[in-house]
Amino acid sequence: MKTDELIGLLAATAGPTPRAPVARRVVPAAALGLAAAVALALAAIGLEPAAQGVPLLLKLSYTATLVFAAAWLVARHARPAMPVAAPLRVLVLVIATMAALGALSLWQAAPGERVATLFGRYWLQCPWTVLALSLPALAAMLWALRGLAPTRPQPAGLAAGLLAGALAAFGYSLACPEASAAFVAAWYTLGILLAGGLGALLGPWALRW
Amino acid sequence: MQEDFERTLRPLWLRGLGGDEAAYRQALEMIAARLRAYFKRRLASLPDDVEDLVQETLLALHLQRATYDRSVPLGAWAHAIARHKLVDLWRRRGRRQVEVSLELDDASEALAVSQSEAQPARRDLSVLLALLPAAQRDAILMIKVEGLTVTEASARSGVSVSALKVQVHRGLARLAALVRQQR
Repeated sequence: MKTDELIGLLAATAGPTPRAPVARRVVPAAALGLAAAVALALAAIGLEPAAQGVPLLLKLSYTATLVFAAAWLVARHARPAMPVAAPLRVLVLVIATMAALGALSLWQAAPGERVATLFGRYWLQCPWTVLALSLPALAAMLWALRGLAPTRPQPAGLAAGLLAGALAAFGYSLACPEASAAFVAAWYTLGILLAGGLGALLGPWALRW
Repeated sequence: MQEDFERTLRPLWLRGLGGDEAAYRQALEMIAARLRAYFKRRLASLPDDVEDLVQETLLALHLQRATYDRSVPLGAWAHAIARHKLVDLWRRRGRRQVEVSLELDDASEALAVSQSEAQPARRDLSVLLALLPAAQRDAILMIKVEGLTVTEASARSGVSVSALKVQVHRGLARLAALVRQQR
């Protein structure tokens, strides 16, 4: 087939362009990932009776804010040549704000309590659980991106991983018995960054098109 | 040069996105000529791959045309996809110095030059068409080979216009995947 013929074929069958192509793929993938994270957290760990009040609200609002910021970043990476500085700045700002809240809670704790405030009982499990819960969301997100046009696979994979990690951390909030802001700032964030790192590793391999 | 690209091509492209077939065809022809010059300069050691890569990139631009955001220069968008396809080809050819070569790749100049004479493509997309599922292949062939409009093809086959477009779109997406596998 000659190039002219190919162009003729493409033009003859084009029609008007579909609308909102990014939202159409990213939103269902995120919903699926969130549902999987919540279901897995409740099935594997169970709803935590102590998860309520201000600590739960803090976790949910931190992770939900990260979900929106990371989704914005993913959407930018799904379209060629779009600037990504603004969503990146928001992501850093949200994480820095949570880190400041965590530092404040450490500073307010009695000196003998500080280690317990930061590490709690589950500091070792938390990041790995978030990473594990993020896997379905990460797979869904990479699938969604693959059908769009990410021209920088590694940063796009990182964005997909951060979004998957934030969705997983949101689900994990319901099953997590820890209450301190310092714990959330350190270990939730680490889990989300681990998911981001995995996404960046998988990106060049998964986002070929 | 870049000014010219944006000023003449972008209005055609936007009309094409709105469903204007003639404008879309003209825009694709202009982009194809620029892609050809772009790839030719960068594939000096692989001249036989140029036209194949032009076709593969046109297919990608077409399938992903909805990801064009109007806030971005059309040249930057097209160049990002062309470069992605070029890097993909280099990786498949086992090139190691991809990043070094791309430093010379200036987005504002990349698609400034145009070459309209097509070279023969080495890979024949018509052969790959035969590998598609029947419904997708038939939809594409009615329009490509017989030159029917989508409306005429719909009347002929009894398949609705929208269903026919879905078949064509799926067929082209499948074709793009086959193209990558074949290299």
